[in-house]
Amino acid sequence: MSDDLPDQFDLVVIGTGFTESCIAAAASRIGKTVLHIDLNEYYGDVWSSFNLDALNTLLQQSNTMVRNGRFTWHDSCEESASWTREKLLEKSRRFSLDLCPRVAYSAGELVQLLIKSNICRYAEFRALDHVCMWYNNELVSVPCSRSDVFNTKTLSIVEKRLLMKFLTACNDYGEDKCNEDSLAFRGRTFLEYLQAQRVTDKIATCVMQSIAMCTPNTSFEEGMQRTQRFLDSLGRYGNTPFLFPMYGCGELPQCFCRLCAVYGGIYCLKRSVDRITVEDSTNELLLSSAGKTLRAKQVVCAPGQVPLDQLQSEVRAHISRGLLIASSPLGGEDLNKGGGGVNLLRLLTPDGQHEAFLIQLSHYSGTCPEGLYIFHLTTSASSDDPAADLAPFVELLFGAQTPQQLIYSAYFTIAAPVTTNAALPRIYCTAPPSYELDYDAAIANAREIFGKLYVDAEFLPRAPDPEEIVVDGEDPSALNEHSLPDDLRAQLHDLQQAAQDMDIAE
Amino acid sequence: MEEYKFLFKIVLVGNAGVGKTCLVRRFTQGLFPPGQGATIGVDFMIKTVEVEGEKIKLQIWDTAGQERFRSITQSYYRSAHALILVYDISCQPTFDCLPDWLREIQEYANSKVLKILVGNKTDREDREIPTQIGEEFAKQHDMYFLETSAKEAENVERLFYEIAAELIGQARSKNGSSAAAAVAAHRQSDGNSSIGLGSFSVKAAQSNCCGGSNSSSNNSSSGDNNTSQAG
Repeated sequence: MSDDLPDQFDLVVIGTGFTESCIAAAASRIGKTVLHIDLNEYYGDVWSSFNLDALNTLLQQSNTMVRNGRFTWHDSCEESASWTREKLLEKSRRFSLDLCPRVAYSAGELVQLLIKSNICRYAEFRALDHVCMWYNNELVSVPCSRSDVFNTKTLSIVEKRLLMKFLTACNDYGEDKCNEDSLAFRGRTFLEYLQAQRVTDKIATCVMQSIAMCTPNTSFEEGMQRTQRFLDSLGRYGNTPFLFPMYGCGELPQCFCRLCAVYGGIYCLKRSVDRITVEDSTNELLLSSAGKTLRAKQVVCAPGQVPLDQLQSEVRAHISRGLLIASSPLGGEDLNKGGGGVNLLRLLTPDGQHEAFLIQLSHYSGTCPEGLYIFHLTTSASSDDPAADLAPFVELLFGAQTPQQLIYSAYFTIAAPVTTNAALPRIYCTAPPSYELDYDAAIANAREIFGKLYVDAEFLPRAPDPEEIVVDGEDPSALNEHSLPDDLRAQLHDLQQAAQDMDIAE
Repeated sequence: MEEYKFLFKIVLVGNAGVGKTCLVRRFTQGLFPPGQGATIGVDFMIKTVEVEGEKIKLQIWDTAGQERFRSITQSYYRSAHALILVYDISCQPTFDCLPDWLREIQEYANSKVLKILVGNKTDREDREIPTQIGEEFAKQHDMYFLETSAKEAENVERLFYEIAAELIGQARSKNGSSAAAAVAAHRQSDGNSSIGLGSFSVKAAQSNCCGGSNSSSNNSSSGDNNTSQAG
């Protein structure tokens, strides 16, 4: 099969993770010849989603980038348990379990990029149902929409007014950076500002934990920006400022790959590169892959997709992940009305030193069977033991869960190279997934590399809709044939038929 | 914007060179482009058809060449209403690969997706797969079956019209007899729908030009109203 693979490309992209896929799509979009390969048989690399069987297999293998994997079945001894290990495995294919779960701000970088480039036509999203906070040992919904603020029982009337006043002030902040507050709090922390507004403890928690997502050390300016980011994304889609990709985050890299392919990019999974060298005479990069030599003007590669000794030093733990499956959602009935329950919760350890975020998914996200809930926990790795890194958060959230509700838990580490030795020119290594809620860092990384590859070229300009495309050398009227009146259409048909019969058709 | 009551997504799969793109273009454009290469920049084709008095918009997706090295994205199969699996009646290997394709379909497509097996290129003299063999395979795997020729325009219209009719039938039986309750409505009625950014892009783009804080300032000011009412 590989025999008819062309061997000369403007760009070879190795790895089909999010960042690499962005770059591949952007290069293909501006007319470069692109070969996009991945050593795995699936799309997405460490940004992929797996069914339950496939995830378990992955966790049992040793992989350069996904390490320290282990999973546990919490078998219930009760006969009455509605979900068992067997039932879950039977429905393995109904799961779509993310290695790198994220949510997207409705007005954030990702959503803007998808809309601007028209790649949004390949993706569907679910608006998150609730943004939550942990307050007084209880899971509480943070009011997001107007009706939320109006209806919530979480806040008193005074608190509601204080919160709205505070948010309005944050919202106006950008327009007048020289107002009193801005000057007074320059160089101080956001928490100090918040305290000076005399908000209650509950509101301070609400803002710090869930809206601005700050730590006590976050500066005033950054806290304001973060609050604005939250506010900007409100009221666009659904009840909260966040979206989750239907069928999991593993879909997103594939959307970019599809665009790359539509513009002529060639795709080849299960294909690895053994060695990259430079040919002195032509200055081209030679990639030896499956007994064949591929030539590329430039190469982009993901960490872990080429032999380590070639481009990277050793890898270390980067992100610690936990993935739990249970038969009941977190929080009370209020938080999970109608069985919705696609929720976000950001957590801080009591000392404020470590943070993690939790994404709760129900079947409405297309990632698990109805009646089950997935809990994705993500934190920066501080050790090679992901379970230990996440233990304080798991204890906090699931300590109270009765054993039969928790069915499955898995932990793993996403690794990253310590340094990248760019020993060869014109090879660009993408950054591993960073600890972030949205895709801002990944998109910035893709833009930066694309800017080095093709100086001054536009990054993912809008792809025209199918209706707007006139294929070269064809009669444009043919495209709009269906919009013609019937009699004209019949005539056109006859003419075309006649032309074909006379063999003068183009 | 054209008016239509139903929008269906149809995707084509099958080995490279069996005539998937030709089928789509014959149907949507009335063309048969001989010896064409990959179609750059064309993602899916749209054609509005009328079945039983209903306007139906068919969105027909092609593989974008990703089948060449068996690297079709799973997301290609998502939310398809119908799936056309194509082989070339004059090329045994394209028929032999059908079980592989079925495995992939089973893995990634909706389990209720309408499946149609199509033996294309009936205009060819050198047939290798008898009609009956194709028919039996389709029957075994619970698929509809049709032989077509994109070149001679044989059965191409029929293929897509029958799919449209079948999908309409399904949509109606799901929603009782109300024809207005289209598939789109079925997906969005319960408030637990998914969101396509495309349909909202105009709205989002507009608020972007207005300085970005448009929606949120509306939000907070009316929030104020709410609190003052409450107070």
